[in-house]
This record gives sequence, structure tokens and C-alpha cells, in this order.
Amino acid sequence: MTQQIIEQKNVVLEVRDLYKHFFLHTIDSRCVKALNGVSLSVAAGEHVALAGTSGAGKSSLLKSIYRTYKPTNGSVLLRLDPETNVDLVSLTDAELATLRGTKIGYVSQFLRAQPRRSPFDIVMQAGIQRGMDRQTAKDAAAHSLQRLNLDEVLWDVSASMLSGGEKQRVNLAAGTISPPQVLLLDEPVSALDPANRESALELIGTLTSQGVAVLAVFHDIEAMRRLASRIIVLRNGQVDFQGSPTEALSNLEGVAR
Amino acid sequence: MKPVTAPDWVLKVENLGKVFGNLSTHGIANTGPEVGTSKDSVSGAIVAAWDVSFEVAAGEALGVVGESGSGKSTVMRCIAGDQVATSGAVKIRTTRNEQLDIFSLSAAERRQLRVNKIAVVYQDPAEGLEMNVTAGGNIASPLTAAGWRNFSEIRGRASELLNRTEVPLNRMDDAVKSFSGGMRQRVQLAKAIANRPPIVLFDEPTTGLDASVAAGVLDLIRGLLEEYGLAAVVVSHDFSVIEMLTTRCIVMNHGRVVESALTDQLLEDPHHPYSQKLVSAARA
Amino acid sequence: MTDLLNELGAAHEQQQFGILDEYSKREIRRAILTAVAVPGYQVPFGSREMPVARGWGSGGLQLTLAVISPSDVIKVIDQGDDQGVNAVNLRRLIVQSTKVPETTTASDASIVQSRHRIPEDGLDEQDILILQVPVPEPLRGVERDMRELSRMHAEADYSKMWVSLYEDKVRNGVITQTTGYPCLVNDRYVIATTPIPRWDIPRLDQSPFLTLFGAGREKRIYAVPPYTAVTPLTFEDVPFEVEHTPGASCSQCGSNKTFLVEIPGPTSRWVCSDTDWCERNSGKA
Repeated sequence: MTQQIIEQKNVVLEVRDLYKHFFLHTIDSRCVKALNGVSLSVAAGEHVALAGTSGAGKSSLLKSIYRTYKPTNGSVLLRLDPETNVDLVSLTDAELATLRGTKIGYVSQFLRAQPRRSPFDIVMQAGIQRGMDRQTAKDAAAHSLQRLNLDEVLWDVSASMLSGGEKQRVNLAAGTISPPQVLLLDEPVSALDPANRESALELIGTLTSQGVAVLAVFHDIEAMRRLASRIIVLRNGQVDFQGSPTEALSNLEGVAR
Repeated sequence: MKPVTAPDWVLKVENLGKVFGNLSTHGIANTGPEVGTSKDSVSGAIVAAWDVSFEVAAGEALGVVGESGSGKSTVMRCIAGDQVATSGAVKIRTTRNEQLDIFSLSAAERRQLRVNKIAVVYQDPAEGLEMNVTAGGNIASPLTAAGWRNFSEIRGRASELLNRTEVPLNRMDDAVKSFSGGMRQRVQLAKAIANRPPIVLFDEPTTGLDASVAAGVLDLIRGLLEEYGLAAVVVSHDFSVIEMLTTRCIVMNHGRVVESALTDQLLEDPHHPYSQKLVSAARA
Repeated sequence: MTDLLNELGAAHEQQQFGILDEYSKREIRRAILTAVAVPGYQVPFGSREMPVARGWGSGGLQLTLAVISPSDVIKVIDQGDDQGVNAVNLRRLIVQSTKVPETTTASDASIVQSRHRIPEDGLDEQDILILQVPVPEPLRGVERDMRELSRMHAEADYSKMWVSLYEDKVRNGVITQTTGYPCLVNDRYVIATTPIPRWDIPRLDQSPFLTLFGAGREKRIYAVPPYTAVTPLTFEDVPFEVEHTPGASCSQCGSNKTFLVEIPGPTSRWVCSDTDWCERNSGKA
């Protein structure tokens, strides 16, 4: 296997010709083609937004990078340090597990975390996983939750008791505590009311200034326009168009989901 | 040099096999998921498990998923020493960072491992506990086996463990047979971690318990895994248990491993037809 | 071949010394040697039919008859008393069949057979104490399976014993076993010290005399050789206590430093269990 190298110095995530096809044996062995050769790159400190109609492959792409979906073909290169990169697709499960939560973060729309955990606990554990000691993680968790305006009263309740919007903010707090090198965001503000949405977007906006490479899916055009330095439009599992927000958005027709 | 290294394993299972009856190449070829049975029609031998391999690191929980008859419990019992494997090897890493092949040990030495190296939490608490002995007494057993000889210290440690597993201290001197199923399981957990073993095997730890009781026990196990940094193997047919406790898992069917994956990936993107069937049934 | 047959015939015609034939004695002595070589290990042996019924000291009797020789002096006690019925009968049997001199004075005896008690004094090097044991297995209360018992002794896996001591202390505040207290011999095997009371146990530790335990019905022999470590099983912080009734003293000799037994009656009266010792010291009180 030839060693693949990220050419550009500041790029930390490079997706090369990524395919994801599902073979559903339980449903007459049909094949669902979610990704059909996607290539893109994200640099440190860059916020790239993914756009496209429902079914275009946006969530599938994020999951394939995080390896919640196992890519069928192609590679996902991650730059660990100036000299080293790895292909996430070729790592063993155990090796990939060490990168998750440390180098790569993923914030999904749904609080897929464990039941009966408190928000504070969830965010603190995320910090500990990033290498913080217990006390630092505690402080960072408090800071994170405060920033997203989660009422302190809710910090110790069971997370399953929270509303959708509250869960989403917990998710975001956990994902952004001591931000990883690459952060994948899947509709991170969809359930938030305007006020909370505002603080969340502001928080996400600061990530790039900390050097995080952000790849995000928003259905909200305003959010994209505000945060992204580049927008990639997907269509039928492939990159259809990419450019600056103005270019991309004027190019889009019927982008609203 | 690899840029990403996973932590070293503490428990390694290599090509583990267990056959009841005569072992034959024919028997192996005529059993398994493709054939759809564990029983060799010619010799009557049962290939309960064959060619099972996996590694577990400290602080990691690995799930072994399968339906009844899949061989998952057989694998666990071979590691624990409750059954004698037919083939393969099980290695543990000692505190001196040496690799110890536990199948090369005598039966007595393997029993010694169960004192403070490998602990087992059985589905039926009666298998792991002495029903007529008190909760404290059950915990005193591994402690005294490890050489504890001071009564107050033994009692102190037992109280500490029972407290940690949320068993009311005023029941410490009651015989375990007077406890409910969930509480018996908690005592079993306390006993299992009494000597701080590096490896703990869980066999369907919450099956048979009421949902709310099971939830509490699962939370407790999760907490213990995090706090003690154990290397754990969790055998279960229940995906919610696997999802909650493990980061990686293997799927077994008719004695063989059909798929091995990160837990979230198995649940969202199962590959093998059998895994897909299991996952879609669980999701339904 | 003919010589061998003649030899066997001659041995049979030889006047037997005691009730046991020489072959039986040989087997029992071999068992004794094994027991002495592995202190505390229960050696199985082919227990012979004896003129006393099982449960009446047949094991102890076989041991005595196997080791006794014309130069020995025998003392037999029951509950410390030479005149107990059982002791009297056994002594008569032994003396009549061996013609060995008898005594009640422990210091004069070279062999003491006892059902319950070690004489307060008088046993020295070269003496043998033979104890009659009903139940030789110390783990009998915690395990039933023979193979498992065998394994536990072989692997020195006494955790079930420890748990039962723990339970005892938890339930009763103290460890309640009175006779047959489990002891660790030579740091290796746990033995049942039936029939002696706790009072006598410290005297086994590093004793100058040899102690042999014989269980006729259970067919086991075990031994505590001279100068061997014998420690009662107990927790570090739970001291081993011997029997003690505050304020009690012997109504005959006034001693409160010997093992006392209570005489039932309208008023509580105590006497020394070791009658021989009591008589010798009554004059001095």
C-alpha cells in the first residue's frame, strides 16, 4: 500500500474518491449508493459547509469520515502532525477508536449518548477523553454549558429528560470542549430557538480561530453564509459544486430541505 | 513506525475453539454460519466455537453479540476456565509486562488466576455467589483467598464495595438468598472487583432482570468500567447493553465470528447478512 | 518359595503382641510415618475391626496398639479423667493384651491415649499422645464433596473455611467453635483438633511430644510431630481465646489455672478436668 500524503501544508483532512455503498441483504440484497466518489479537503481553521438536498449524501459523508459507516472505497487522510498523516479507512477499529474523541470530533443531531447520564457528566467525560484531568474537565464542562445557556438546574438531571434543543446544546458542548483537530457537525443547531441558536453559532464561529478544521452540515442558509469560508454542494453522492458562500448559494436552487 | 497505535492488549484470544465430541476437519467444514448449524451431521460433534480471535486493552470493553447457541457463552467460559478449550490460546499480560498463555497453566494455577486476575460476573447470580452466605461473607471469599487476614479490614473493604455497588449497608450481614435479583447481581459485581482484577468477563449481566433494575445495574457496570479502567468482555444478545457498555464488538453465529466492528458502526452499518438481520430485528 | 511360606507360617504362629497382628501394625506404622513426614495431612489407612465399636476410640486404639512396646507405660484418659468408663475399658483391653504397665501419672507415662484433653503437664520428648478423633475433616462443615475437599487441601485453598469463620464472627460476635477448632499445622495443612478443647490447643504448638490423631470410622491418621508450628485459624485482629469462667476455681485443689469442668448440682461447683493433676496438687493448696 503506497503511503498517501496530503500535499497542501495547511490541509488537515483530505477525502479522496470516497465511496459508500450499502448492500442490504435483508431487503432483497439491494445496493444503496450513498457516496459515489467524493473528494474534498479542509484546512486547519477553515469552516467548510456541506449543502445539498435531502439524500444527497451529506450526513453519510460525515459518518463515513468518522467511520460510523465503513467506506466501501477511497481514503480519508488525517494529518496528525506536520510530518504524519494516516488514512482513517485503513486503521484497525482499535486504532480508530483512539482518534475518536481526541483528534476527530463528531456532533450528531441526536443525543445518541448513553441514557441516564447527566449533561454535566457527558460533557465532563468528553473532556477527560480529550486528555484533561478531572478538575480541568469539570471546569471546562461548566464553562461550556454556561456558554450555551444551559440552565444549571438541568446539569445533573438525566439527559433523557431534556428537550430536543437542550439535548442538542449538550451535544455541542461535549463536541467542542477542548476542540479536536477536526470537528464534524451534523445539523448542530436545528432544534434551537433563535436566542440559543445565536449563542451556539457564535461558539461554532470561534472554533476556526482556534485552528479547528470544521466540516459542517447546516440546512440553515444564514448559518452557512455566516460561518463558512467555503461551501461544497453534494448531489447524488458526489460533489456537484464548490466555492465561496456567495458563489455557491447563488448557484443553489431549491437548497432548502 | 505506525503513526497511530492502539493501547496494548491485556487479554488476547487467538483462534479459540471448543468442540464437544470428536474434532475432525470434516466436522469443522460442515458447521458454521454458511452451513447453518453447529452440529456435524456425520459425527454428531458440536463445534460450539471455532477460530475466535480478539484483543482487549485496559479501559476497553469489547462486546460479544449473538443469539443463544452462537457460542458466545462458550467462549467466555473457556477464557474463564469453567470449560476446557479444544484449541487456540488465551493470553494475558502480566504486571511485569510478560505474555502469559493461560492454557499452559495447570488447573490449580488457572484457579489462582480467578482470585485476582480474571473475574466473572454470571447471568445467574447463584453461579457466582454462595446463596447461604452473607453479602459481606461472599466478598470476604476472594479477599481471604488473596491473603487478607484482618477482620476489620475485610469488613471495611466489603462495606466499601457494597457501598460502591449501591447495596444498602444494613443488608451486609443478610444471606444473599434473601436478596432480590438486581441486588444479588450487585453483590456479584462487588465480589468480582474485590481484588481489583485487570480483566472482568460479563455474561448477560442484566438478562432476566426487570427493565428498571437492569438499567441501574448497567449504569453501575458502566461506572465501574470507567473508574477502574478494567479490560472487559461483555457477552450479550441485547444490543442496548452492547451499545451502552462497549466501543468495539464481534458478532457470533453458529460458533464463528461473522463480523467485528466498532459498536456504533455495527449498529448503523452492519455488513454481514446475519449481523444485518440481528440489528434490524433489534431496531424494530 | 518354600522358605517364604515357612516364614509366613512362623509369623502367624508367633505370639501376637496385643490384639493387632503384625501386618496390621506394619500398615498402621507406615501410615503414621507418612503422617509425621507430612504434618497435618490426613493419611488414609485400612481401619481394622476392633473389640470396641466405631465411635468409641477404635482409631486411637489402633494407633496405640501399633506403636506400643514392652518398654512403654500407658495412661488412658477420657475427659481428663483416668476413671472414666471409656478410659477404664480401653486401658484394661490394652494392658491385658500387651501386659504393658499402666499409670495415672502423666509424667510416668510414655504413651497417653485420650478422648478429650491433653494432660496439664508431664508429657515430654520421647512421649506420644494419641487422640481419638470422631471427625478428622476440618472442612466438613463447609464442603460435602470428597473430591473438592481433596483439592482444597492439596491446593491449600482454605477460603471456604475463612468465610465460615467470618460468618461465625458476624453472626455471633465471636468465633464459636469449642472443640475441633481448625488449626494450621506447619504452615501448610489445616486440621481438626477434635477432640481437644480450645484450652489445650496452645500446648500443641512446638510441643516436645509427638501427637497422633486416629479416626477409626473415618479411616484417617494425622500427626503433629514434635516442635511443629500449630496456629489456630483466626483473624489477625480477633485473638484466639481459650475457655474461661471468671471467678471459677477447682473446689478440690483451688486451682484456677487448669481446665475446669462444672459439676451439675444445686450450686455450681468446678473441678479440674485433669484428675491426676488435681490429686497431685491438692495437697499443696
